Parts: sequence; C-alpha cells; structure tokens
Amino acid sequence: MAPGIFYHDDPAWSDVEPIPQEDGEHPLAAIAYTDEYSEAMSYLRAVMAQNEYSERGLELTEHIINMNPAHYTVWLYRSKTLEEIGADLHAEIKWLNPTALKHLKNYQIWHHRQIIVNKLDSSEGEADFIATMLEQDNKNYHVWSYRQWLVKRFGLFSKPEELQWVEGMIEEDVRNNSAWNHRWFIVMGGRDGKELPEAILKRELDYAKYAIRKAPQNQSPWNYLRGIVRYAKLPLSVLKAFTLEFADLARPDEVFSSHALDTLADIYAEENSQKEEAKKALDLLATKYDPIRANYWNYRKKLLDQPEAVS
Amino acid sequence: MLYTVSGVQILATLDAFDELEQRVKGGRTKIGQYIAALQDPVTGTFAGDEWGEQDTRFLYGAFNALSLMGLLHLVDVDKAVRYIQSCANFDGGYGTSPRAESHAGQIFTCVGALTIAGRLDLVNQDKLGAWLSERQLKNGGLNGRPEKKEDVCYSWWVMSSLAMLSKLHWIDGDKLSEFILQCQDPEGGGFADRPGDMVDVFHTVFALAGLSLLNYPGLEEVDPVYCMPKSVTKRCLGRSVAGGRAQGGT
Repeated sequence: MAPGIFYHDDPAWSDVEPIPQEDGEHPLAAIAYTDEYSEAMSYLRAVMAQNEYSERGLELTEHIINMNPAHYTVWLYRSKTLEEIGADLHAEIKWLNPTALKHLKNYQIWHHRQIIVNKLDSSEGEADFIATMLEQDNKNYHVWSYRQWLVKRFGLFSKPEELQWVEGMIEEDVRNNSAWNHRWFIVMGGRDGKELPEAILKRELDYAKYAIRKAPQNQSPWNYLRGIVRYAKLPLSVLKAFTLEFADLARPDEVFSSHALDTLADIYAEENSQKEEAKKALDLLATKYDPIRANYWNYRKKLLDQPEAVS
Repeated sequence: MLYTVSGVQILATLDAFDELEQRVKGGRTKIGQYIAALQDPVTGTFAGDEWGEQDTRFLYGAFNALSLMGLLHLVDVDKAVRYIQSCANFDGGYGTSPRAESHAGQIFTCVGALTIAGRLDLVNQDKLGAWLSERQLKNGGLNGRPEKKEDVCYSWWVMSSLAMLSKLHWIDGDKLSEFILQCQDPEGGGFADRPGDMVDVFHTVFALAGLSLLNYPGLEEVDPVYCMPKSVTKRCLGRSVAGGRAQGGT
C-alpha cells in the first residue's frame, strides 16, 4: 500500500460506509485522483451526508485540505464543523498559518481566515502573520486583499502604524504596486471622496516624488502622484517642474522616464498654446522611448487635434 | 459557480441545451435560478457558492452563463453594474472588490461583464486602455500588474480586454505572437506560462485564444467576451435574444 492516511482499516472510522465518487459508466475525462485522496473524499461524502459535525470530521478536512486546498466544499464543511462543535478558533488560526504558507496561491484559505478572525473579533497577531506571508511573495494578491479587509473590519484607516508599515514595504521594494495600492487605500479609502487636508496632500505628493527620484522608470508612484493630483482637483501643471527633472524636450536624448514624458505631454496638452510641445513629447515616446506602444502614442497625438483634447 | 459556468459553456459549445431540457425538465431555468440566488442583494456582486466568497470573477461568471442561456433578466443587472463601477481604481484598472489592486485578470472580468450588460460607456476607456497596453514588456509578453513578470495567460486577459475596448492595436501584436509561440513545447505541443516552463491545459487555452485574437492563421475566431469560438456565441446569443423576447412577452 502507498504511504499516506487511510480510513478503511481505522477502527475510529469503522462505523462509516464511504460513498465513492459517481463518474458514470464511461467517464469522458476522469481525474487521476490518488487512492489516498479518493478514499478520504469518499469518507467526507459519507459524514457530510449524515450531517456529522465532529472532531474526526475536522481532522478529515485537514487531511483533504493538505492534499487539495482549492476544494471549497471541504472548507465550507470545516467552517460549519468548527461552529457546531464550538472549536477553539485560536487553534484554528495556529493551524491555518503553516497551511497558508504551504499554499501561497490559494484563494479559499483567506476567505476561511476572514470568517475565523471575524468571529474572534480581534486582529491580534494578524499583522505579524501577514509580514511572514509577504516575505515569501511581497505582491501576493490574496494577502494584500486580506490586509484591506482587516483595515476595514477593525477600522485601522487612520492608525499611524498602518501607514508606517506600508511605507516600510515600499522602502523595501519601491516597485511593489500592491504596497502603493495599499497606501492609496488607507490614505484615501476611508475618506469617501472628501477633500484631502492640506498637510496630507503635501505629504503624499512629497512621498510619491521621493519614490520617483529613487527609480524614475516605475509606473506605480507615477500613477499614485497623478491620482493624488486628480483627487485634489489640481491642474496637472503643478507637476511641471518636477516632471522636467526627468524629461525635458530641450534635451531629447536624456529622458530618464517614459512616465515623465507621458505626464509632460498631458501637461502641455492642458495648456492650449503648447500643443506642439505635447506632440513632440508623444513623438519621442512613439519613436524612441516606448515604441512598442507607438499606436497608443499616435492616438494621443490625434486627440490633440480635436477641439476638446482632455487626457 | 465556476463549475456551473464551465458546464454551461460546454453545453453551449456542443449546442446541447435542448438535450439538457430532454433529460432534466426546466434544466436551463434551474441553472439560471441557482446562479441568480448567488447574487448579493445588498451590493449586487456574486458569491462563488453558498460558502460566500465574493469576487468580480463570480460576477463575470454569472453574466457569462446567464447570457449564454438567455436568462440575464433573472438577476439585477443594474446593481451588478454599479458594483463593478465601484471596483474602478485611481490608475484606471479594476480589482476583485472595491479598492483592491488593479489586476489584468479582474479587468477582463469587469470589462467582460460590462460588455455583456451593454454598459462599456461607464468605462474610462482611454485610461484603462493605456494601463492595459502598459502591460507589454520589451520581450513582447504581457504582465498582469506593474512590475510583475510576463505570463502567457495575461496575453488573454489583457488582449481580450483591449479587444472589447477596440484598442487591440495599442500593443505590438507581432512581438506578442512571437512571445506566445516561444512558450510552446515543440514536442509535447502545449503551451507554458513562459518559455522553457512546463506546459499545461490552462496556459494552452489562453495561448491559443490569444493567438486567435491576433489573427494567427489557421485558428477559429475567438469571442473576447466569452473565450469561446465566435461561431458558438453568435449561435447562442442570436437565439437567446429571441428567447428573451418571447419570455418578456409572457
């Protein structure tokens, strides 16, 4: 027999009649399950059919999740079992941590964690675990989404530690778009479109500029910077002096950032008398600095000739 | 939800809805009702199953399957559309839920659902198109988020979205074709996420669908909204429009 966990000769399971998977007589595309997985699933079907909520059922789901963490039916049953038997939810989190670390791309683990942490009604320890997860992959979409959920659930928008933390993440990797999105989320997310206080506006503009100076060819802080300017309803021209640090039409061979050139084109387009400059910037992008998207830049150029050219 | 959508897509491809009715009376309506029950009445988005995980993927899946069966009227389309709008980000993209990071896969689901709803007018198309075209890297491949690696599956998510916005020409199609072709295993036949990696069915589907959007010779035309042959969606949607009208009259 192959190594693994089996139930058919386990006395603790002798009262259960397993229910095998019904694939029909000639399955068209039968999945090559391992014997271990097939058997565990057939015992799970049996306990689910009986609505059995028990400690052994919990262990069974653990076994199956370790083999196939994407099986949401198993999670659903586990969740119900925890509730029915009044299990220790701290122990559940303790088990979830290494399981999540083993299955970095899994979606379901995070939904389950939300259910548990919501019931625990405390975010204690979660920040540390998130840090451990992000050490494996600092752009893990599920982890960042979960962090957003935590901020919303426990009202952490204006907690200074949250901003400090995300700033640390950006310091570590200025190209981490997930971290930039999180910064936007905590600074703007709790605001519901309300005006940014002057001090925060200045802080955010300065921070984005500081990050761009570190790595000018980096889309995230440019998007952030322009997003802030738009949110504050400022004209793009407030960024002109800054943008010229990286792209100046007077020095077309020394452009350090296609994003700067792109922004410059929009600044010139905003000023009606500067359309020729805007075209020059877009030409540089189409021919020299970003030719792979020449059609896009040429489209932008065509927009300039229309009466209402708004970027 | 996801398996149900795949099931509906397979039935549509095989033109087997009539056979389904023969075997399960009212089968199509039952599927439609199952999907409709997964809509969140408060927010308008959809859960993946009774467990309750929510994501714009499920919303798209619901619209995909319901429209193929001509049953979109079973759900609150306007509310779902408003939910998608709330997922639009400052950079022009869309995420899994409001303010979640923009991600090319989620953009496909949001733009696809809006296309099915006939509400592309709600999209800032130039800005989103710019963000999507920015996904092309020097090697011709596409990534799914800024500063991430290229992957063949994004050929599909990004290109299909650009196609729905009629901006497919904003990226370099020749370079992308070249990249996709490099991902094929010349012996095994399938495609991998990037050159030299192990091939799988998932990446093979999106490589072929992507090549079809690029008019690669010898491939059937793919529908960017459904990731199915256009001949199939034309047949289903033509019929479901008629079906919808008949039901509207009763």
